[in-house]
Amino acid sequence: MATKKRRRSSKAKRGGISTTHILIVAGAAVLVFGLLVVLNINRSQSSVTGVSYETGITSDGEPYKGWPNAPIQVVEYSDFLCGHCGDFADALHALGPDYIETGKVQVVFRNYAFLAPESIQAAQAAECALDQSADKFWLYHDLLFANRGTGLAAYSKPRLNTYAREVGLDTGAFKDCLDSGTQLAEVESDRAEGQSQGVESTPTWFLNEQMIRGALPQSELRQMFEAQLSRGS
Amino acid sequence: MGGSITRATSPVTGRVNWRLWLMRLLALAGIGVSAYLTWTHLAHQAVACGQSQDCDIVQQSVYSEVGGIPVALLGLVAYTALFALTLLRGHVAEHLDNYIPLAIFGISFIGVLYSAYLTYLELLVIYAICRWCVSSALIITAIFLLSLPGLKAEADASG
Repeated sequence: MATKKRRRSSKAKRGGISTTHILIVAGAAVLVFGLLVVLNINRSQSSVTGVSYETGITSDGEPYKGWPNAPIQVVEYSDFLCGHCGDFADALHALGPDYIETGKVQVVFRNYAFLAPESIQAAQAAECALDQSADKFWLYHDLLFANRGTGLAAYSKPRLNTYAREVGLDTGAFKDCLDSGTQLAEVESDRAEGQSQGVESTPTWFLNEQMIRGALPQSELRQMFEAQLSRGS
Repeated sequence: MGGSITRATSPVTGRVNWRLWLMRLLALAGIGVSAYLTWTHLAHQAVACGQSQDCDIVQQSVYSEVGGIPVALLGLVAYTALFALTLLRGHVAEHLDNYIPLAIFGISFIGVLYSAYLTYLELLVIYAICRWCVSSALIITAIFLLSLPGLKAEADASG
């Protein structure tokens, strides 16, 4: 017994683990976990604000932003599930104050939904937003792209309906539109139109009728716009 | 004697400690999985996932990074630390050695909690299951469970 006591005493002196240590480490682990989740969630939340440019619908029913008589016209074919399309939309959005709001560039959006069934669903949802107004379409468009990369759940019907509420759409009319599938023909027609013009991938866009495949960084896009403007197009 | 329970080989009996060896092997497997996922994430490579696109969907989701750092890279750091700790066990000064089971417990506990969160995201938010991520979740859970007896032994020995 005396030997056992001595052994215990020497172990206590050498500084072993106690239940308190275990509880402290477990608590610290929970805190670290909480911090990681908060950092992760913060990055996952996206929102959009208002539009600060002219919007409308072209004679053939496509949404546009920017002055219709702008010297530069960009017609883009995009899939809402395509990450590069989102990058391209971001670049255009960033250049908006210098080119779209100043009447130098008009952007026309066309769906080229082909990556997954959710692409077609998201495209129909965007068309349903356009049914209500062009302003709302662009807000909805921005929100869809802002939520890219969050997985296919981002394009589930409940989430698409949530986005509709977030951008201030009439949610009842939006839901009816999406559920009825009335916009499917429009989405398919957009893609067929793209195919007839040689579009095979996204994003593919036309800069004053010159076809360009793939997204460009903001700096290169700016250079192209400046080059077009200096040509007096 | 309790303090030597999680050492790879008992200095007294010479018996191999299978739990520590298993943790070491699992940490090595975890390094392999997380290194592969880190590489595919940083190099924008497709993840080998059979015919499924699920792994890429998860890997390209915004949930795959924490504060701009790939989750896979955090996993790689954690598994490397666990592997190093299993190697150090029994080879450092006793007052440090006693805390190694506690460190293994702490790191693997964070891993288990975060893996549970990621699995929840895969099932109910992203709607895609990345089998590499699931294998990592199983590995870290196994390491966590294996760390418990060693921790208890160390606590009893100090008791």
